[in-house]
Amino acid sequence: MSINNDANEQRPKSTEVKIERDRNFWKSFDELYDTPEYKKAVETEFMSSPLRDEFKDEGTSGFARREFLKLMGASVALTTAAGCIRRPVQKIVPYVKQPEEVTVGVANYYTSSYFDGQEGFGLLVKSREGRPIHIEGNPSYPLNGSAVSVRAQASLLSLYDPARLQKPFRNLFNEKRTNKETVGVTWEDLDTKVVAQLQKGSVAVLTGNIVSPATNAVIGDFCSGFKAEQYSWEPLAYGDTVEARYDKAKVIVSIDADFLGSWGSAITSNRQFANGRRDPSQMSRLISFESTYSLTGANADIRHRIKPSQQLDVVLGLISLVSGGSTQVHETLGISAEAFQKVAEDLKNNRSKSIVVAGGVQTQTVDAENLQIAVDHLNSILGNHGNTIGARSNMKASYQSLNSLIKAMNQGSVKTLIIYRQNPLYTLSKSFGFHEALNKVEMVVYVGDVMDETASFSHYVATDNHSLETWSDSEFSRGLYGIHQPLIRTMYDTRSFQLSLMTWAYMAKVGPARIQNYETFYDYLRAFIKSDIAPKYAKGQDFETFWNQLLQQGFVGQVGSLVSKATSGSISNIKKSSKSANMELVMYAKSHIGDGTLANIGWLQELPDPVSKIVWDNYASISLKAAEKLKLKQNDVVELTVGDVTLKLPIHIQPGLHDEVVAVAVGYGRTKAGEVGNGIGVNAYPLAQVGQNGQPILAGQNVEIKKTGKKYELVTTQGHDSMEGRQIVVQATNKDFQKSKEANIHRHHVWSIWSGHQYNGHKWGMSIDLNTCTGCSACMTACQSENNIHVVGKKYVMQGREMHWIRIDRYYVGSPETAQAVFQPITCQHCDNAPCEVVCPVAATVHSNEGLNEMIYNRCVGTRYCSNNCPYKVRRFNWFNYAKLIQSPTHMSLNPEVTVRTRGVMEKCSFCVQRIKVAKQKATQENRLLKDGDVKTACEVACPTQAIVFGDLNDEKSRVAQIFTNEKRAYTLLEEWYAKPAVRYLSKIRNNDEVTAPKGAGHA
Amino acid sequence: MSMRSFLRSTIKVDVLKTLVLIFASIIFTGCLFTNPDGGERIGIGYNKGYSPEQPLPFSHEQHVGLHKIQCQYCHNQVERSKHANIPSLATCMNCHQQVSGTENTESIKKLREAYADNKPIEWVRVHMLPDHVQFDHQAHVTKGVSCQTCHGEIEKMAKVYQYSDLSMGWCVSCHRQPENKAPLNCTTCHQ
Repeated sequence: MSINNDANEQRPKSTEVKIERDRNFWKSFDELYDTPEYKKAVETEFMSSPLRDEFKDEGTSGFARREFLKLMGASVALTTAAGCIRRPVQKIVPYVKQPEEVTVGVANYYTSSYFDGQEGFGLLVKSREGRPIHIEGNPSYPLNGSAVSVRAQASLLSLYDPARLQKPFRNLFNEKRTNKETVGVTWEDLDTKVVAQLQKGSVAVLTGNIVSPATNAVIGDFCSGFKAEQYSWEPLAYGDTVEARYDKAKVIVSIDADFLGSWGSAITSNRQFANGRRDPSQMSRLISFESTYSLTGANADIRHRIKPSQQLDVVLGLISLVSGGSTQVHETLGISAEAFQKVAEDLKNNRSKSIVVAGGVQTQTVDAENLQIAVDHLNSILGNHGNTIGARSNMKASYQSLNSLIKAMNQGSVKTLIIYRQNPLYTLSKSFGFHEALNKVEMVVYVGDVMDETASFSHYVATDNHSLETWSDSEFSRGLYGIHQPLIRTMYDTRSFQLSLMTWAYMAKVGPARIQNYETFYDYLRAFIKSDIAPKYAKGQDFETFWNQLLQQGFVGQVGSLVSKATSGSISNIKKSSKSANMELVMYAKSHIGDGTLANIGWLQELPDPVSKIVWDNYASISLKAAEKLKLKQNDVVELTVGDVTLKLPIHIQPGLHDEVVAVAVGYGRTKAGEVGNGIGVNAYPLAQVGQNGQPILAGQNVEIKKTGKKYELVTTQGHDSMEGRQIVVQATNKDFQKSKEANIHRHHVWSIWSGHQYNGHKWGMSIDLNTCTGCSACMTACQSENNIHVVGKKYVMQGREMHWIRIDRYYVGSPETAQAVFQPITCQHCDNAPCEVVCPVAATVHSNEGLNEMIYNRCVGTRYCSNNCPYKVRRFNWFNYAKLIQSPTHMSLNPEVTVRTRGVMEKCSFCVQRIKVAKQKATQENRLLKDGDVKTACEVACPTQAIVFGDLNDEKSRVAQIFTNEKRAYTLLEEWYAKPAVRYLSKIRNNDEVTAPKGAGHA
Repeated sequence: MSMRSFLRSTIKVDVLKTLVLIFASIIFTGCLFTNPDGGERIGIGYNKGYSPEQPLPFSHEQHVGLHKIQCQYCHNQVERSKHANIPSLATCMNCHQQVSGTENTESIKKLREAYADNKPIEWVRVHMLPDHVQFDHQAHVTKGVSCQTCHGEIEKMAKVYQYSDLSMGWCVSCHRQPENKAPLNCTTCHQ
């Protein structure tokens, strides 16, 4: 029982606010069907009340009162100390010899690289007094520009992860290797033992994709020295990864390839994809056939839901239509002949300007290989090879390689196995037999930085440096060479993988001279660049100039032209071997969690899934019809059985899913990731089966669903923060847009007797283009990192207490079967007539003379009136002193320019006011005026599609002012309320050749 | 929970709260009226006059007053950073490599030893603002505010003490003067 509920019960019926709801746009099934739960949720303004929690179990524990006493006791003690005596004494410890480049209080930026196994980024890392605190993309980098993925940004926290190993370890096992004890060892000890073992011969090295030429050289030298064999494998990356130019394509057909989310170079693809659609009058068309609801499908102009077993049918059907034949495929797919014909027509009309892609975990069916052959064939008859699509040659990892390693281990021909940052004991299902094979290896040496599932089963753990602590290089694309600089000296007694290999080769006196000669990998790298890289790229410069230029720019060269992909087989030999099942399983990777390596990072776990908006869990997604048929509801726990493996997962009802599909995300259920990531969700990898050729089967298997009768609460951020069906997102089709650029925007005639604020200097504003926003969520993590935003955990997200300053609302449009999705990033709108400002009793939120709605933490007393009065629901309240929970050394990741908020304080987006100030100071120092682009908010920088534009509205030439004055698609949220937001949105255009049915008078 | 038990618990909390507040206010007022220096009354939590012992008795009076060394010789980053940096030992050694002094030779010996051992000196911080305040030296110095305006006659201080109370009222009293053209937005200092 709660106060709020009391109030609701007592409220007479007549005063209930009647809300007209738009049945077309909706966020959840509860909203669509207007369930009692939904009504209750929207009527109580906030999900939670402190009283509700604290008094719930007051009778038994009396927690609330005890806590109150404790806190009051502490604050009395503190006031006594502060009032009469000096506050705690702080020390200032200056350098003995000040490094030239360090100015205390001024950030330095260093170029570097990051590679996550599939996608690589050129980085520009912000460092304060030697601590890296924020990761951004290198703006001039040809692939990703200033944007980086959520995971690359979050890798910052893995540097400061308390779970990181701090020295080398040894695991002592009993005879059966079932029990063990972990002891620390010295590097000398480890090296002696490992080298003695290596000298016995039969060495194997297991790595993932490696895109660093120097690292590949070290591994090559090591392997030649020890006669070792290198195997490369990644759980999610497949050798057939393509390199596409989405900006050059007019029509893109994706068959379960989530190229905007979890597959391949997603951020680069997002960037290219948006560039091909920035101008709505000539935007590209994305058609998606998919068995999950991925980001790619959500952004598709035309989306068809299919089962995994139908992937090949789609491609074969298209091939026959494109080559002039006929097909009945649309009948099996359950779509109209015209719709399917239209896809083929679109492709035919755009020969050499189209792309057909299939790939990723979702396509790893029995027919995976055939699917690739068919897609290659379709691309080649469309003349796309070399124009829009090519091969990505540096992705070597494959399951064939893994299988040959397992075979070698089983034959006893591997005495020593070195595993570099791969976690097969977590990511491989039992049927691969990796674990049994590993038992036959005399010594397993694991090189990584966490005692994970595989590390705990290794004899020695040669603790690796973090990526931000190590020198390296990168070649993400042919002809584009990048440097990977360390940002910080090794924090602990760790050693890079490359140096470990070099040390072992040196001690055993094997391998080419260069692997033995150099004392550090840095020396090796420099020599390698001098001998192997500079001749190709330096263009006659002397080496030192080249080296300095490389460090400064972060890269040399440019993205090479596309290499035509060799067709892997003949189309005539294709025989479909998969059979349609009643209920098919499809596994997928979430765009932010990926394969689960970074599961211990709270930022990633608390980032809502871009489509389902569920946090801290994975689940089995099924369609509404399937749920009705199986009599399942949201949060019902079911047993999924594939073959002889059974998993228990909660049900999530996902609109737009095929009725005979169950989708489950991998990357969850880690047992040895660390305190944060352990036991989050359920590990779905065990559901994988092994195909005839040893290939993994991750989709299309028949799955049985059994209801258990239990419930498990999934937590989503979508049910609250609702906007009550007003004109929030505006969507029009290309036909609508041709008629009127303002299509579907309802303009209000608002007037005021008040003249409004006058801004003589700057007036900050932002525009967000819903047409290019893909919902990738990179902005959310960038904001979290920039503004010291806390992670609150599943329990509090359940109560609506998540702290994200920028959120991405996802609206479904249409029926639950064919639901499209629109994404809308919502941040503080910095209203001119801000409703929050007028209700603050202590003037803790006020208007600045530059149009910012300022939040003053030290003045806030926590009445939360402002949040109550905010129409956009962007304000976040600190219910607890979350900062106290930050473990050392994670506090080192905090941005010193932004105050860390304490308990009882409201907070919200500040338009990165600290960045505005830094830019102003820089301009003053350079004795010039601030110009457009000097100030970029963290979200704007991180946005791969450049959907967010920030700037000065008083500067007529600024990009944002141009958009505000010229762009017809621009509208403000809740214009009729006359809050006059400083943020404008540009309407979403769907290039599907349909015409939106005209609406009656009133709101869109 | 019934309404009654809810009311009961609320009342309990209220009684407790009142008691604690009374207790706290007694302590507060005690602080307000007792002033150890016997000078003007100081506000709660301000540290005007604070002058801790430093590990080395560095005298601004001697360096600035007598030898007329420019402030920015040591605090060299004050024009480009928010912090007026405490100089590195190497800066001290620029002179003290040669200068052994006459009065305080022991301290200079200590200084040289620290430099030789590569051990930094841990100075005690005198001027301290709360964590929610961002003061920017660069902005003030480049606008022509002299060091003495806030730090007092530093050239006469044998031992540095806090000259101004560094309260918000004190900051704002200057920012409010129209001739200073200083910004008055809250985020100027609180961000």
